[in-house]
Amino acid sequence: MTDSADQNTITDIRVRSAVYDSFISRGAAISRAEAADRLSLSARQVAAAYQRLAEAHMLVLQPGSGEVLMANPFSAVPTAFRVSSGERAWWGNCIWDALGILVMTNRDGTVETACPDCGEGLTLRVAGGELESAPVVVQFTVPAAHWWDDIVFT
Amino acid sequence: MLLFRSEEHIHHWRQAWNQPEGAVFSLRQAWGLARAWYNEDRRQPDWRRKTKDEAQALFTELGLTSAFWQL
Repeated sequence: MTDSADQNTITDIRVRSAVYDSFISRGAAISRAEAADRLSLSARQVAAAYQRLAEAHMLVLQPGSGEVLMANPFSAVPTAFRVSSGERAWWGNCIWDALGILVMTNRDGTVETACPDCGEGLTLRVAGGELESAPVVVQFTVPAAHWWDDIVFT
Repeated sequence: MLLFRSEEHIHHWRQAWNQPEGAVFSLRQAWGLARAWYNEDRRQPDWRRKTKDEAQALFTELGLTSAFWQL
């Protein structure tokens, strides 16, 4: 690997880490400007790192702004899957991701969503690191081989 | 991946919105997926995405073996 490629790898790891740390510790996405400031990088370096991470399916970027849309399991924008734990709250991209947020943060908490058919509110609870059973079922439309065809739809 | 009150609700929703069948599975399996997929700290420098083979093995371990789950 060339020196330039090595440096890109190091930068990408630092940027990825900062993105996830912001979600985990603040419950919010880090902006490109904040990432540049925090990591002592230029705006161009952060933008390039975001693009490489997106191409590697480690981030999903917002069209236009290039800011983070998703760093799975976290969503930077409101979704139908609200995750709460103590003073902290997040948005998950889907029910898998919403549960994954409590796993990744190693916290107990709740996941709130609604049945897409009838609109009834559905709440899941994780206590003592275990998911409490609930009278619900899970449905996934997009086959696994096609998840990244349109990850936002998936 | 969505959460429904019941399979009947999934069926009604699919008809109302002309959605394909997809896969239906239990909350327990979804929890297993979440735990296996997200049990690592992605801030760590040595974290990497699962390979296709690793992901497939995970699905199989969770009983997700239909054609829907083939990568």
